[in-house]
Amino acid sequence: MRPFEYFRPSSLKEASELLVRYGDGGHLLNGGTDLIVRMRDGLTLPSAVIDLKGIEQLSRIREDEESVYIGATVNLNQVGRHETIGKSFPYLAEAALSVGSKQVRNRATCIGNLCNASPLADTATPLMALDAVLEVFGPEGEREIPIRDFFVFVRKTSLKPGEIVKGVRVTKTAGQGVFTKLARRKEVDLSMVCMTLLKAEDGWRLSYGAVAPTPVRLPKTEALLNQGAALEEVLSCAVSEVKPIDDVRASREYRLEMVKVMLKRGLEQIEKGGAVS
Amino acid sequence: MKFVGKSIKRVDGVKKVTGSLKYVDDMKMPRMLYVAVKRSPHPHAKILSIDPSEALRLKGVKDVITGEFYTKRGGLYLEDKNFLAVGKARYRGEAVAAVAAESEDIAQAAVELIKVEYEVLPAVTNAVEAMAPNAPLVHPDLGDYKVAPVFFPEPGTNISNHYKLRKGDVEKGFAEADFVFENKFYVPHVQHVPIETHTAVAQMDADGYLTVWASCQSPYAVRQALSAAFDIPLNKLRVMSPAVGGGFGSKAGTTLEGIIIPLAMRSNGRPVKLTYSREDEFENAYVRQGLHATIKTGVRKDGKIVAVQNEFIWDGGAYTEYGVNIVKAAGYASAGPYDIDNVHTDSYCVYTNHPVGGPYRGFGMSEIHFGIEQNLDIVAEQIGISPVEIRRINGLKPGGRTGTGELVEVCGLMECLDNVIRDIELDKEEPASGPNKRRGKAIACGWKAPSMPNNAASSAVIKLNEDGTAHLLVSAQDIGQGSDTVMTQIAAEVLSISPEKITVRTGDTDHTPYEWQTVASRITYSAGRAVYEAAQDAKAQLFELAQIKLGVYKRDLEMRDGFIVSQIYPDRKVAISELALGLTFEDGSGVHGPIIGRGSFIPPNIRNADKKTGLGDHPVAFWTYGAQGVDLEVDVETGHIKVLKVASCFDVGQVVNPQMLEGQLEGAILQGMGTALFEELMLKDGKILNKSFVDYKIPTSDDMPELVVSFVENPEESGPYGARGVAEPAMVPTAPAIANAVYKAVGIRLSTMPLTPEKVLAAMKAKGQTK
Amino acid sequence: MSKLTVSFILNGEEVEHETLPNRTLLKMLREDFDMTGAKEGCGAGECGACTVIMNGQAVNACLVLAPEAEGSIIETIEGLSDGTHLDPLQQAFIDNAALQCGYCTPGMIMTAKALLDENPTPTYEEIKEGISGNLCRCTGYKKIVQAIQSVADQNRVGHGND
Repeated sequence: MRPFEYFRPSSLKEASELLVRYGDGGHLLNGGTDLIVRMRDGLTLPSAVIDLKGIEQLSRIREDEESVYIGATVNLNQVGRHETIGKSFPYLAEAALSVGSKQVRNRATCIGNLCNASPLADTATPLMALDAVLEVFGPEGEREIPIRDFFVFVRKTSLKPGEIVKGVRVTKTAGQGVFTKLARRKEVDLSMVCMTLLKAEDGWRLSYGAVAPTPVRLPKTEALLNQGAALEEVLSCAVSEVKPIDDVRASREYRLEMVKVMLKRGLEQIEKGGAVS
Repeated sequence: MKFVGKSIKRVDGVKKVTGSLKYVDDMKMPRMLYVAVKRSPHPHAKILSIDPSEALRLKGVKDVITGEFYTKRGGLYLEDKNFLAVGKARYRGEAVAAVAAESEDIAQAAVELIKVEYEVLPAVTNAVEAMAPNAPLVHPDLGDYKVAPVFFPEPGTNISNHYKLRKGDVEKGFAEADFVFENKFYVPHVQHVPIETHTAVAQMDADGYLTVWASCQSPYAVRQALSAAFDIPLNKLRVMSPAVGGGFGSKAGTTLEGIIIPLAMRSNGRPVKLTYSREDEFENAYVRQGLHATIKTGVRKDGKIVAVQNEFIWDGGAYTEYGVNIVKAAGYASAGPYDIDNVHTDSYCVYTNHPVGGPYRGFGMSEIHFGIEQNLDIVAEQIGISPVEIRRINGLKPGGRTGTGELVEVCGLMECLDNVIRDIELDKEEPASGPNKRRGKAIACGWKAPSMPNNAASSAVIKLNEDGTAHLLVSAQDIGQGSDTVMTQIAAEVLSISPEKITVRTGDTDHTPYEWQTVASRITYSAGRAVYEAAQDAKAQLFELAQIKLGVYKRDLEMRDGFIVSQIYPDRKVAISELALGLTFEDGSGVHGPIIGRGSFIPPNIRNADKKTGLGDHPVAFWTYGAQGVDLEVDVETGHIKVLKVASCFDVGQVVNPQMLEGQLEGAILQGMGTALFEELMLKDGKILNKSFVDYKIPTSDDMPELVVSFVENPEESGPYGARGVAEPAMVPTAPAIANAVYKAVGIRLSTMPLTPEKVLAAMKAKGQTK
Repeated sequence: MSKLTVSFILNGEEVEHETLPNRTLLKMLREDFDMTGAKEGCGAGECGACTVIMNGQAVNACLVLAPEAEGSIIETIEGLSDGTHLDPLQQAFIDNAALQCGYCTPGMIMTAKALLDENPTPTYEEIKEGISGNLCRCTGYKKIVQAIQSVADQNRVGHGND
């Protein structure tokens, strides 16, 4: 691993200042399960690593009547086992618990999973379906970014220099949802395709991972579902809204096929009431 | 028996569960230097120049070497390799230079500073294409290479060994057959994936004495190879293998040792260490060779197979010093465990610009059986009999003849088949777990013999201590298979002392006696037999002294619980402890001195097969036979296979340690399952696309199906207490049994491994379209 | 690059240690503390051979930077037995022949310990899933699951459950 300076600031302001000072060389450390491997492989060569775990306020899951908020250093097992998340958003809990191994999830954070902007981030699809909002701290103050505006491209987000994601907020929504992930191996594997299907009070929401440069929502398919269109039409529309590629994990063709199968099964599962509201 | 056949607890258990066992990478020595390797980015390229000057200027860098420092070629059976590329690089990742530095980070940084100029050459990355007359030659000088006389390279081509088996008259056989079928199969490269990667430390004293600590399966074979490569006499070269974190064949030969030794020679006594990263392990340790197999079968209406013609084209990679023997083994085993009168096999070892092929658990058998055992099911269905029937009709039984014409004397194949049919409940149809699932059950058989030189030898020494305990010295390496415990049990049985009283020491060519190699599932059989002989030798010496001491004939003595006891007068006995240092008389004088038992063993009467036909009446030490049954289900919408249950049974001759033997069979099933379902080195233009655990998946605990293992015991005459080897054969039938069960479930036949969801789904679609 | 002082509790002892930041907890444990029980099998959090327990949770020591250990409680395989008595899990691994080459064993046992600390009586399926972050190439896992289950069974009796 190349040399770097390590900082463990105790406030967001301090962290943001460090990030500004080190420019492109400054990298935030949430859980580190992605960053450390990239540093080992020489893919990321930071001059400064800024560990957010010293900032007390980021380490909690908070909730009120309307929403649940997951702080930037909350790990995926904490998300997956949180009582309210398990009750209100079981598909988010499932997505969190589908990432990596138990050991990895004890370090990896939900926010880190999002900020990597991997096309196949497992926690992104439920949060996309939930229209989650990212709360951001930056040199120019705080702002909110709706998650659908957050992912720009592979490993690229809409964060500006010096900005730090404090946490993600989801509004409690009555409805049923399903998260499914298809991988080569059941445990500790990356998604070939992952999906969240949510039947909310105001209609259907559908999002996929690993089928485009970023996690995506499928608005046209959602509209067809809301109109009660025939299954075949819905499935073809879903396929038309994604742009998967060939890679070592799966071919484009297989991914397209799975987009249909997963959606069909998700609809069946919700119809049966298999998923919790 | 008291100790053989019992589940004695592993003698290395406490050290392993406490994490206190020191593996080579755990070693830290004063003034140690760390090595990093510069590797070729091209699969085939002439090396025009290497400029280390900038690397040498980096603070903390001590030395940089290239292949020019030692240009002598080496290799186990065919001397075709250099540890560092000389003149050209023949696969992507081949070592072209190495750095020794004060830390790993410095060594890594220095590697980036070495400048290498290449002239890229056309690469050949497919074994079938490599056999074409105009293919680029990976080794243009093949004709000059030294080769053991049982291998047949074809200079001027990429073929480094052409093995032929010619039994009977295959054309006549096909003419007599009612049906003739031909099927093709492909098995891709896979990797062994021991959890411990390759690692070694080398240190040379001022007087030229070289010590190598390596995670290796075969210290003596490594000593021999390194001695020859670096012109160091055997008495000045000590190889130690303190512990091995999994081998599966990958640590059988020499790999990275040869990279660090030249650096150790030039480091003025400082120890030099290299540990492979996981990525290195995938690219630069051995891989399992790829195989293109074509099997043509002539069969009568009654199910009797009358002729088989095989063509095996092996992708041996850039160097085949070891691979040539895998190709030979696959050739002489090519008929499978079946009694077939006419067999015609060509097995080709072919150079490509791919990673280096080498020994992998099964030594070619898993690869050929993927074809053989699927082919049998295909043929059976075509002629309207069941997979079980075709195996009962053709399977080897005592009195039958193998593919090389050898008379079969001991063979429990049919019993193994019966057991797995019972355990898998083959005839019981069971429902799938859901509407999108289809369930299937099927079987496969397998066999394997140790592939080793006819005279591959083992030896053992037992030293008795004055308190009645003993030290057992062998160079059979416990690479996880449990040989330390098995050797202890055998010695304990002969001497009738409890295993706790025996300490086993291994893996040090200066202090433990010769062992050819820990490979070929031969250790329980061969080293076990040497231990048996050593213990018998110690016992004979004890009896000599005891007959004087007790005044009874030695023929009437026996060992019993730490004593030498008269069988006629049970009250006449003497403790081992009393005689361990020799017999002492009443006047204080003594005779004989310390008891040291010596045992040596070479499997009896193994003779070379005929060079032209490959036929031979006793070309191998023994054959191990077995069968497996698989129960699985397939998701018809996603193509995912879930293996529900695997039953496995092998004829092991004599179970030495039931619990550990179960572990061998269970581990083999999961390893076989991994290759069947997930594992493949995805190679594109010589580049491995998935050289990490992120994209090369092996099974986890969650993938484990229900496992049912059983044994048959038809004793092996020359083995200790009748035992024969099983660790490799146990993996052989798994992949084809899974493929056969997939056919049962969804009616599709996949001729290439692994059986990925994508392939399953595509095959199902293709089948639907053709309907 | 500046060195940092890291204070933490290692197998029950308070330690204060100076380290460069660009190394992992695993390297620090193995090279500076000579605790070589945790192994590097991949360096990427995929194999679990480096598993240690950090603040009660199993983690991959290869995915923790040395300075992140500040203020934490770290338990390694070296701290599991007192040198005289084995931990019940360690004994169960021996009794069930749940190890072969031994390279994954320290990590496997630490994962199992964290699992049992959290849930003393896991089911067979929970164990299978719970150790899926630890690769073993030798055993086929069955005997490992059985070993852990045998300790869970003892716990069940101890806890007065069915």
